[in-house]
Amino acid sequence: MTELLQVRGLSVRYGMIEAVKDVSFAVSEGAIVSLVGANGAGKTTILRTISGLLPPVAGEVFFADQPLAHLPAHEIVASGLAHVPEGRRVFPRMTVRENLDLGAFVCGQGNNIDADLERVHTLFPILAERAGQKAGTLSGGEQQMLAIARALMSRPRLLMLDEPSMGLAPLITQRIFDIVAELREQGTTVLLVEQNAQAALSLADKGYVLESGSVVLVGTGADLLMNEDVRKAYLAE
Amino acid sequence: MEQFAQQFVNGVVLGAMYGLIALGYTMVYGIIQLWNFAHGEIFMVGAFGGLAVWTALPESLAENAFLALPLIFTAAVFTATFTAVLVERVAYRPLRSSPRITALITAIGVSIVLQESVRLFYPDGKRPQSFPGLVAEGNFSIGDVRIPWVSLFIVIVAFFAMLLLQAFVHATKTGKAMRAVSQDPDTARLMGIDVNRIIMVTFAVGAILAALAGVLQGMKFRQIDFHMGFLAGLKAFTAAVLGGIGNITGAVLGGLLLGITEVMATQYIPQGSAWKDVWAFIVLIVVLVFRPTGLLGEDVSVRA
Amino acid sequence: MTPVPPSASHLTSRHKTNWSEMWRSVLRLSGRWRFVLGIAGALFVWTAAFSPWASFAFGYPGKMTLSGFPGGARVYLLPLLLLVSLLFFTLPVGATAGVRAALGLLFIAGYNFIAISWEGDGVDAVAWGAWIALLGSLLLLWAFASFLWEEADGRSLSGQTAGHTAVKLPDPIWQMLLVFGGVPALLICFVYALDVEESSRFVSLICCLGAGSAALSSLGFFNWTSELLARQRTFAVILLLIAALVFPFTQDGNGYWLRVLISVGVFASAAIGLNIVVGLTGLLDLGYIAFFGIGAYVSALLSDADFTTVHVRVPFLLVLLIGATVAGLVGIFVGAPTLRLRGDYLAIVTLGFGEIFRITMNNWNGLTRGPNGIAGISDLEIPSLFGSTPLNFGDAHEVFGVSLPNFANYYFLCIFLFIGMAILFSRLGNSRIGRAWMAIREDEIAASSMGVNPVRFKLLSFALGASMAGAAGTVSAHVTQQVSPDSFTFMESILLLAAVVLGGMGTIPGALLGAGVFYLLPEKLRAFQDVRMLMFGAALIIMMRYRPEGLIPNRRRKAEFREEKSRFSAGFLKGTGELDLMQQNPVQEGGT
Repeated sequence: MTELLQVRGLSVRYGMIEAVKDVSFAVSEGAIVSLVGANGAGKTTILRTISGLLPPVAGEVFFADQPLAHLPAHEIVASGLAHVPEGRRVFPRMTVRENLDLGAFVCGQGNNIDADLERVHTLFPILAERAGQKAGTLSGGEQQMLAIARALMSRPRLLMLDEPSMGLAPLITQRIFDIVAELREQGTTVLLVEQNAQAALSLADKGYVLESGSVVLVGTGADLLMNEDVRKAYLAE
Repeated sequence: MEQFAQQFVNGVVLGAMYGLIALGYTMVYGIIQLWNFAHGEIFMVGAFGGLAVWTALPESLAENAFLALPLIFTAAVFTATFTAVLVERVAYRPLRSSPRITALITAIGVSIVLQESVRLFYPDGKRPQSFPGLVAEGNFSIGDVRIPWVSLFIVIVAFFAMLLLQAFVHATKTGKAMRAVSQDPDTARLMGIDVNRIIMVTFAVGAILAALAGVLQGMKFRQIDFHMGFLAGLKAFTAAVLGGIGNITGAVLGGLLLGITEVMATQYIPQGSAWKDVWAFIVLIVVLVFRPTGLLGEDVSVRA
Repeated sequence: MTPVPPSASHLTSRHKTNWSEMWRSVLRLSGRWRFVLGIAGALFVWTAAFSPWASFAFGYPGKMTLSGFPGGARVYLLPLLLLVSLLFFTLPVGATAGVRAALGLLFIAGYNFIAISWEGDGVDAVAWGAWIALLGSLLLLWAFASFLWEEADGRSLSGQTAGHTAVKLPDPIWQMLLVFGGVPALLICFVYALDVEESSRFVSLICCLGAGSAALSSLGFFNWTSELLARQRTFAVILLLIAALVFPFTQDGNGYWLRVLISVGVFASAAIGLNIVVGLTGLLDLGYIAFFGIGAYVSALLSDADFTTVHVRVPFLLVLLIGATVAGLVGIFVGAPTLRLRGDYLAIVTLGFGEIFRITMNNWNGLTRGPNGIAGISDLEIPSLFGSTPLNFGDAHEVFGVSLPNFANYYFLCIFLFIGMAILFSRLGNSRIGRAWMAIREDEIAASSMGVNPVRFKLLSFALGASMAGAAGTVSAHVTQQVSPDSFTFMESILLLAAVVLGGMGTIPGALLGAGVFYLLPEKLRAFQDVRMLMFGAALIIMMRYRPEGLIPNRRRKAEFREEKSRFSAGFLKGTGELDLMQQNPVQEGGT
């Protein structure tokens, strides 16, 4: 398997605070990779740096063997990388349909949007029903689905999900993770950032455990789930 | 009653111009939360750009309204847009991560520089310049209310400009991107939207509308000067706040209300004309005390 | 704890044009050439200083046609040249300083070149001296800049940032001696600058001083002096005060510069008040001059002027109090409804209030005599300390055998006013109230969660600022002897704001410097009267872009601005010493 995304020696700072220290990992084509760790471990910072919202202090990011460092965020998205941000971040005062249109912003005018709409509507039928509704009026779970659907509209090769389970009821979380699994079946590579280590690792082909900005453990999802330390720290045992 | 109707019409005409300028304030505020103090000057620069081209036209062309008007408008729009985009690029963009007070002081500096540039570098710019009327002089009457053709022209142009703006913001890809940026710039970037480009477009659209207003103002009062942007800008910003800053419909509504209020107060309050420029600020303070979000505003973002 | 940058910060551009790279690769010099060019440049400039700049005499000042004599603006090349020559020995550390000094030389040469060809109707008027001055300064600039590029490249390769060593000061006795020598030296410079008559020489002097300071600043000189002055503050302040009190005795009974300094003093006092509002509390007041105007009108009306509508005369100290109180009350009236709102709203409301005030004064004929204003305001009279006859400010006095013009009275009054304001400002700034203000400025929500009531403290700041302006206004009315609405336009508010911003937000020397720049420079630069406002607008933009904390920043504030900027160019703050200041988090102190 080829590595779709490679992160090497990445460091990010906010002013004086070093939020990410020398982090390296890779995501193989077609895999689901999870980054797990507690609040403040630097997970979100890593995703924001990959998609160009934050500049790294050091390190390199390669996507499909192209270096991403210092490309502006909008060009990174155009290269086939979609980022579902933490806390959904749908555009609240735009309709569901408009949100989806914006997801397809990089895809040129009109041509295949209908096919993509069809595809996300099959994945998330609820969004077809709510097409004309303002996104801010949706429930949390629906907003999360919209956020994922919106990201899929750009037909990404890599989907980065930041805490998709945040603030959602267990049943809905389960539903979201089912969809992530389904996406992988369809050939999308997924980088999943989660606090919910149980759900994320059981889904993942490979997992990385982050602690205060550094990778402390690497392994397959199943291995990490069996690991003593992980069980103690993240699975409340 | 007749007088009231007459004044009402005058108020609508004035308000339409305020509204056109207010749109630029409201859109820029909605997108980068900056009170673009220099926007009034963009309005002024637009009017001067139009005048400069008209002055340069050969007489046969200059007399012909059907040929001269489009040329004047084009020149005004081009000058204003160029200035606004340049200002955004040079003065505002480097300050995106600075405290807001820094950006606002810069905007004041830009305003002074633009005013002074016109005063110093436009031929004889220190004195008011006469502006061509172009639209047929005279009035038409509805009952006893007499409406100058120029006023009708102003209202029509303003109306269509606002209609086009609505269409632009809602139906085009760039317009949607604009709304997205105003609601959540970071996420907009994740959609592949070039936020810097959208901000530039926002400044440009505001400048186009201000340039239209500048030419219309010149046609109505037959005179423009380097200082005209200051008060007009302040009042238009007041209109934008009155309507709910960040809200496009609100800016137009606020402009109309302010125009009508100003005309009525001048007419019906004793000694009103001496206090003509005070009403706008009194309205502003009253609005801010009783409904700080403005008439249509809930929070800050470009909306319909 | 995902840190989220402030709301607008995500919009920073990461595009970089490669123009500078291109230029560098074209202009890069190897080691030996740098020295050759640099020394050649220095020699050229040196020659130019003693060579004729104008080809024939036509009224351009300063004997610029003479050779063998550095007359006119040429003399200001020499200090910079000396500095540049010394900097050669400090390379590569002094490269930045060298670039700045060379730029100063270039400005002097360029300005005079243009001015001579302007006044002499064409380039023919320019003699060869000016040409080689231009050439020489360009060569120097090139030589130093190429050092800088190399340094920059080296840094990007190794990832190192320029460190910042701790300031080392000599023994206290030496410190005092330095201050004792430095303060008078500074004042002599100041008096010398006042005496420079012609615009061309004055502009060149300003270029020389500006470039010199900029160069020294890059060598850390001002960190050192500010540390020195911080240690010896009382001593320095006393020296300055003595110098200020002595100044009228040096004027040979001539009141011109006293008059100018009086207006600087009045506006500096008002600027201190504005500094409370803008600098300490972070509120933008765009109608501040209206409060000043209230004080002026109160004072004018209560002084039984020649042309007035109210015929009473109230003792001045009482007037001062009344003026301050009225302005403060109006401040509360304006501020109370608007201070609850977002910052920008306060800006437009104060602006609107300023206009309302001006228009009201213009229309209220029954009280203010409308556009004519109140004129013929009598001179101040205060009870004398020494005799039974009251001291009249209109009289000239003889003190220690030196005759002082009548303006000296107002001059001393202004000094007292300024001192009063300065004491009030620094006492407040260092008090619990001042810390609450700064907490609100930094983060209103955090401040209120620490128990600071933002609305109340903002109102206090706003009203205090207003009453300080009112107090300054009462003095101003007697100095100008007339008040009229057109002295209180929006532009005056902006001028004061610009003085605060330029001088340094939240500092007393900053307010003084800002007021000095804006009210002294126009006196010296009469040739530029017409472009004054243009330069002033441009100065605002440039300051905000490159030095938003002002020329003499509040140290804490400076750190904040720098941090804001370098949040994304991380690593910059490491070990700059500014961190220590940052840790004195004002929020915690103010919340008690």
